[in-house]
Amino acid sequence: MVKGTIYVEHLSKIFKKGNVQAVKDVSFAVEEGEFFAFLGPNGAGKSTTVQIVTTLISPSAGKVYVAEQDVLTNPKGVREHIGVALQETGIDPSLTGREMLHLQCRIFGFTNKQAKLRTSELLEVVQLREAADRICGNYSGGMRRRLDLALTLVNKPKILFLDEPTTGLDPSNRKSIWNYLHRLNKEEGTTIFLTTQYLEEADTLADRISIIDDGEIVATGTPQELKAQIGNDIIAMNFENEGEAEKAEAAITQNMPGTDFVKRSTELNLYVQNGTKRLMEIVRLLDQENLAPQTINVNTPTLDDIFLKITAESEQKRGGVEHG
Amino acid sequence: MGNGLVKDIWVLSKRSVLTTLRSPFSFIPNLLISTFFLLVYDSGLSGISQLPAFDGANYLAFILPVSVVSAAIGGAGGAGQGIVKDIENGFFSRLLLTPASRLSIVLGPIIAGMLQLFVQTILILIVAFLMGLEVATGFLGVLVVLLLAVGWGLAFAGYSAGIALKTKNAQAAQAGTLIFFPLIFLSTTFVPYELIESSWLKVAATINPTTYIFESMRTVLIDGWKFWGIAKGIIAIMIACAITITFAALSAKKAVSRG
Ligand SMILES: Nc1ncnc2c1ncn2[C@@H]1O[C@H](COP(=O)(O)OP(=O)(O)O)[C@@H](O)[C@H]1O
Ligand SMILES: [Mg+2]
Repeated sequence: MVKGTIYVEHLSKIFKKGNVQAVKDVSFAVEEGEFFAFLGPNGAGKSTTVQIVTTLISPSAGKVYVAEQDVLTNPKGVREHIGVALQETGIDPSLTGREMLHLQCRIFGFTNKQAKLRTSELLEVVQLREAADRICGNYSGGMRRRLDLALTLVNKPKILFLDEPTTGLDPSNRKSIWNYLHRLNKEEGTTIFLTTQYLEEADTLADRISIIDDGEIVATGTPQELKAQIGNDIIAMNFENEGEAEKAEAAITQNMPGTDFVKRSTELNLYVQNGTKRLMEIVRLLDQENLAPQTINVNTPTLDDIFLKITAESEQKRGGVEHG
Repeated sequence: MGNGLVKDIWVLSKRSVLTTLRSPFSFIPNLLISTFFLLVYDSGLSGISQLPAFDGANYLAFILPVSVVSAAIGGAGGAGQGIVKDIENGFFSRLLLTPASRLSIVLGPIIAGMLQLFVQTILILIVAFLMGLEVATGFLGVLVVLLLAVGWGLAFAGYSAGIALKTKNAQAAQAGTLIFFPLIFLSTTFVPYELIESSWLKVAATINPTTYIFESMRTVLIDGWKFWGIAKGIIAIMIACAITITFAALSAKKAVSRG
C-alpha cells in the first residue's frame, strides 16, 4: 500500500501569460494522516500549488511526490490515490447528485452495483439524500460544495486536496464541512491538504500550517508554535493620528531596542513575552514623550495577529508598507 | 482502480448523451430547421425539376442531402458546445483529475454528437419517406446516406471540438460552426452544377467539399450505384476528417497537457 504523503521540493511556477511567478521555491512535506493547511491571502499562490501537486498543471521547476508517486512521470498513479476539490466546484449541472456520484464511481472503475452502494453511502455522509434525485444545477452553493466534496471521496482517497472549500459558505454549511473533514482525518486517517484564507479555519482544523504570501512560504508550524513565535502577548495601541503613532514607534525603537513590533497607520502592535509587566514600562515611556494612545490592550495572540505580522513583515521586505 | 479505454469511452459517452437529452433546446431547433428546409424547398422549388438537366429526377431526392448535411453540421457543433460547457462549469477539470484516459474525456462529447446527428438524420429520412421519397438504391442506399452524414458530421465535430478546446469559449465555438454554414449554400444546393449561372458560384461549388457530399448522396438517391459519384464524397470526407481530427487532437493535447 502506498503512503498518503506529500513531498514538495523547490517548487516554482511561472505563468508565461502575464509573466507572473505564482509560486517561488516552495518546499514542504506532509506526513501520512496529517492535516496540513496552506494559509494565505488572495493571489498568494495557493491554487497554483494545488493544481500542480494534483497533476493539473506542470511546474516550472521543482520536485513533487504525492502518495509516493512522481507527479511529473506518473500522473495517473497519483490520480488514483487522491481526491481533489478545486476552488471552483466541478459539477455537470444537467445531472442529478446521484448521477454525478454514480458517474464518478464508474470512472474510478466501480461496477454498477458497487457504484450504487458507494453513491448512497456518500449521499448519506454529506446529507444530500433528499436532494439526490434533483438536478444539481438547482442546488444551493452549500449543497454544491457538499456534493463536490462527496465526489472527491468516491475512491476513498489516501490524500484529500481541498482548495478553499468553505469560501463563500454560510456558517452552518462551513461548520458541517469542518465536521466531515475532521472526522475523515481523525477516523479514516486521510491525509488532508487544505488551503484557506480563514485563520479560524486553519486554527480549528490543521495540525500544521504554512503561511504563504506572494508565492513564498513565510512561516510554518503548529498553530501553537506559530503563536509562540511572536511572543506570548501583544500590546495593541491605537493612536489619534499617524503622526502620534510614528512618534511612539520612534520612542520605542530608541528606548527599548529589540522590541518586536508592527505599525499599520494609527495602530502599533508590540509582541512581548510578559505583557502586563511591559505595559507599565510602555505607559511610562509614552507619558515621558507626551504621547497618549486612545486605546491600549494586552492580548494573547490569535492566528490573526500572526498572519498580520508575518504578511506585514514580508511586505516590508518588498518595500510595500513603510516601517517608520 | 480505473478502467480500460473502452469502458472509459463508454461511461463518458453515455454521460454526454444524457447531458444532451437533458437540454433539448440544444438540438430541437437544428432538427426543426433541417426538416423545414426539406418541406419548404421541396414545395417551393420542385418546379425546377421539370428542367431537362434534372433528367426527370425527383426534386425531393435532390434537396434531401441539403437537409441532411445542415442537420449534420448543427449536430456536430453540439460536440464542441458540450466540451465548452464542461470547461466552463469545472467538470472538465474534475474529469482530468480522475484516472480516466485523456482520449475518452474528449471523445465522449464527440461520440454523443455523432449519435445525435445519426438520430437526426434518421428522423429527416423518415419525414422524406412520408413525403414520398423514392431511393434508387433501396435500403442499402439509405444506409450509405446515413454513413455519409455521420462521416461529414465527424469532420465538423472534430473541427468544433478543436475550436472549443482551443478557445474554451462558448461563443467562439458557436461562431466557429456558423462560419461554415454558408458552405451549404455555396454549392450545388438547389440546382445541379450545369444549371449554376454565375461563374464565381461555379468556382465556389467546385472547391467546396460540400458539393461532393451532395453529389455522393444524390448519386445514391437518384442515379444508383455509380462508383465514382459516390467515391468523391467519401474522399472529401476522409480529407476533411484527417485535417479536423488532427486539429482536435492537437488542441486536446494542449488543453489536457499541463502547461
Ligand atoms: N493560469 C494563469 N495564468 C496566469 N497567471 C495566473 C494563472 N493562475 C494564477 N495566476 C496568477 O498567479 C498568482 C497566484 O494565483 P493563485 O494560485 O490563484 O492564488 P490563490 O489561490 O492563493 O488566490 C496570481 O497573481 C494570479 O493572478
Ligand atoms: Mg485560489
